Amino acid sequence: MVKEIERHGITVVHMCTVVPISLTVGANRILPTVAIPYPLGDPSLAPAEEKELRRKLVKKALDALCTDVEGQTVF
Amino acid sequence: MRLEIGEILIKDVQFGEATAVKNGTLYVNQAELAVIAGQDDRIKSVEVFLARPGESVRILPVKDVIEPRVKVEGSGNIFPGFIADVETVGSGRTHVLKGAAVVTTGKIVGFQEGIIDMSGPGADYTPFSKTQNVVVKVEPVDGINQHDHEYVVRMAGFRAAVYLGEAGREAKPDNVTTYETKPILEQAAQYPGLPKVAYVYMLQTQGLLHNTFYYGVNVAEIVPTFMYPTEIMDSAIVSGNCVSACDKNPTYIHANNPVIMDLYAEHGKTINFMGCIITNENVTLADKERSSNMTAKLTGFLGVDAVIISEEGFGNPDADLVMNCNKIEAQGIKTVLITDEYAGQDGGSQSLADSTPLGNAVVTAGNANEVVELPAMDTVIGYPEVAHVIAGGWEGSLRADGSIEAEIQVIIGATNELGYGYLTAKAV
Repeated sequence: MVKEIERHGITVVHMCTVVPISLTVGANRILPTVAIPYPLGDPSLAPAEEKELRRKLVKKALDALCTDVEGQTVF
Repeated sequence: MRLEIGEILIKDVQFGEATAVKNGTLYVNQAELAVIAGQDDRIKSVEVFLARPGESVRILPVKDVIEPRVKVEGSGNIFPGFIADVETVGSGRTHVLKGAAVVTTGKIVGFQEGIIDMSGPGADYTPFSKTQNVVVKVEPVDGINQHDHEYVVRMAGFRAAVYLGEAGREAKPDNVTTYETKPILEQAAQYPGLPKVAYVYMLQTQGLLHNTFYYGVNVAEIVPTFMYPTEIMDSAIVSGNCVSACDKNPTYIHANNPVIMDLYAEHGKTINFMGCIITNENVTLADKERSSNMTAKLTGFLGVDAVIISEEGFGNPDADLVMNCNKIEAQGIKTVLITDEYAGQDGGSQSLADSTPLGNAVVTAGNANEVVELPAMDTVIGYPEVAHVIAGGWEGSLRADGSIEAEIQVIIGATNELGYGYLTAKAV
């Protein structure tokens, strides 16, 4: 899906847990996340801390979208 | 570690007044078995059925399949850490009711339990259409959570298998085979001219009803470790899985792991089988990196020339498989990988989620997405309507006439990645 969307000229950040798979598949902007069952959360955190974690990850992803890359890049 | 396995060949199963083996028939006291399997406050009811090869019987949703065994000599007992104390097993003598199996079913736990057909085309896809099955249908109390439900059914199956296994304690085995793996230095010295081979045994540990246990500990919580191959024959490894039916390893298959059996068959002939390394398939990248680092380190520590690596499940565990391959090969140790494929119903999609050029010797157990039609059976033990929701089925999989159309993913053991199945390639 990452590659097909980029083929239409739309920049994509792939937020994912298993970075090696993303590298194999060929994503250009890769942002590591927490765990496969909860990529953008963490049930061990308090709700307020979890929200903060989510915000940080999304902000990092938005920054990655705006960053020029020369090849596959893990943020 | 040296273990004798005495097989008592079971050719039929019948209900009887006393649970016993007589002339190749396993007689089962139906009421007594139900009471023993049901010894948990969280169980509402247990029913016991028999399902024999060739009968027009479908069992679904199947949670686990377990082989009745009994320890007759040596330390520990079957299912250490669950039924027995946590003593080291794998030596002495164990009797097996070969040809019999306990099959657990009941209200569905997750959505990845499977189907066993005792006849028809579906029977060709599962090894458990050939066993004399004692089906234990466990219904939990209302309101039980999924994890407790999984545990309760798992334990009910183990209690049933131990109860039946006792019938083999005094029986004279039809055959006895001895398996032995020596301490590392002695083992290496025994066959100095043969290539040293180890087995990397990947166990499903993604959590959320995808768990495997070693001596009672969830393998998700261990770092990879050495294991004597004979430990599996006393069920040191058990399934707590509701992973896709086709490629989860039921407890029965762990105890009969064909990779280990085949390595023993070649032991001292073409290879020197040095032992097993068990590892996990966890859900964070750090866990995957740590476990594959440790696994590779242990293969180097063992000083082997080659390893066989088997995967359990599919999807993100493909990344664990690839990491293990890359890191072991990087040490100059050859690898052969065993996996299965999810290549789409037409077989045209990418088979695995990850790949590596170093994975140049791979055995496939088949494409789990192949569609099969399973005709109606006279009897269904369990709940046929779960065909709509189990992995590999879809809304409409169960038709009005009782037949099922679904991917072979729904059939227990259809693409088993330890090779305990019947799929083969056809030359064209």
